[in-house]
Amino acid sequence: MAYKPQFYPGSTSVGINRRKHMSGNLEKLRDIPEADVTAIMGHRAPGADYSSTHPPLKEMGEPDCPVRQLVAPTAGAAAGDRVRYSQWTDSMYFAPSTPYWRSYWGAINCKGCDPGTLSGRQIIEARERDIEAYTKAQYDSEMTDVALCSMRGCTVHGHSLRLEENGMQFDMLARTEMGKDGNVYAVKDQVGIPLDKKVNLGKPMTEAEAKKRTTIFRADGVPMCGAVGARKYDEAVEALHHMWELRSKWGFRPE
Amino acid sequence: MVTESDTESIQVEIVPSRFLMPASAQKLLNEIYGNGGLIRIMIHGPNLPRSVPYGPGRGAPIDENRDLLIEVGGQAFELCVKVGRIRLELESAKYYDGLKAACERALPISFQIRRGKFFHTRQTITDYAKFGKVEDTRILGLIDPRAKKDRLAILSEERVTIDDEER
Repeated sequence: MAYKPQFYPGSTSVGINRRKHMSGNLEKLRDIPEADVTAIMGHRAPGADYSSTHPPLKEMGEPDCPVRQLVAPTAGAAAGDRVRYSQWTDSMYFAPSTPYWRSYWGAINCKGCDPGTLSGRQIIEARERDIEAYTKAQYDSEMTDVALCSMRGCTVHGHSLRLEENGMQFDMLARTEMGKDGNVYAVKDQVGIPLDKKVNLGKPMTEAEAKKRTTIFRADGVPMCGAVGARKYDEAVEALHHMWELRSKWGFRPE
Repeated sequence: MVTESDTESIQVEIVPSRFLMPASAQKLLNEIYGNGGLIRIMIHGPNLPRSVPYGPGRGAPIDENRDLLIEVGGQAFELCVKVGRIRLELESAKYYDGLKAACERALPISFQIRRGKFFHTRQTITDYAKFGKVEDTRILGLIDPRAKKDRLAILSEERVTIDDEER
């Protein structure tokens, strides 16, 4: 029988969503053109050449190394691209993803990337053409709700603040805006420099849909213990207690 | 049991469940102003800078945050923050119910309103550094310790403005 990885315990909707994020088995909700994703990232103009830190690997004459022979380089590494980043901020008000789950998604599903997890933001670094593909995958999938998540290279503090009146995550630099047609538009790149043209990111999720797709346990949404008043806690809590117990015991070793 | 006096001033905090757009903030502030009995009022919320403060885009203008003019009680002023919390002092408790009704009329979203003590009464070192010895104690608690002098406005029956208060 083929090995099937198990990602996250629990039968709550949040547990199921967390498994989906980690496994990479995500629903595609929108299709934002590659050029627009590149423009929002702001590292290079769409259509411009990729800057490189070394010549393509084929021209470099690599040493005879079994690991190099075993592992095929990513497209960006093979071409010698610079390492670039994309950073996301997800609102605590039921955004579909959270920094930890973006990092799990990146570490498990994206080759040659370096995810960094912080309290309010999540950054992934990779070779430029790789990070562009990974960023587009995040934008297009159910990991992202265009109102509650946004790409922010700096000033990320909207994640822990109340939402704006129109349901958008607060952004001091106003990088995204709600259009009169109900669509969300990106008007600046991730560091706040205005774009040449607005990028239509599509309609945001309704509150009910965001709660359905979220990976955030919340007392006013889905609590981590599972159904309130159930005879048995959800498996997620049991697994967490188990890990906590082992970590505490293993960390404390009087000898 | 201590009987509450209805002639002393009371302090109130209004917290909407979401950040207010300038139009909603203007409507709410006008309703509060119309209710009367206002001694002082403070608008609180995250800063809205006019240009990108740091990062690779530093200095790029943020046009969305410029010219956010609102008019309250016939007096126009520019919003520097996203309105997320309003603290105010009323002349007496008799204005409280009217204030609550004013918020219900003006706000399209849910909100919390509570009485408490929100303005400090003794001068801090920052107050002293910015204003010297403060004669008018209404100013205490309205000063953002990190901001420059222009982040201060008092709306009152006497229409005391920042220019009157600055030294």
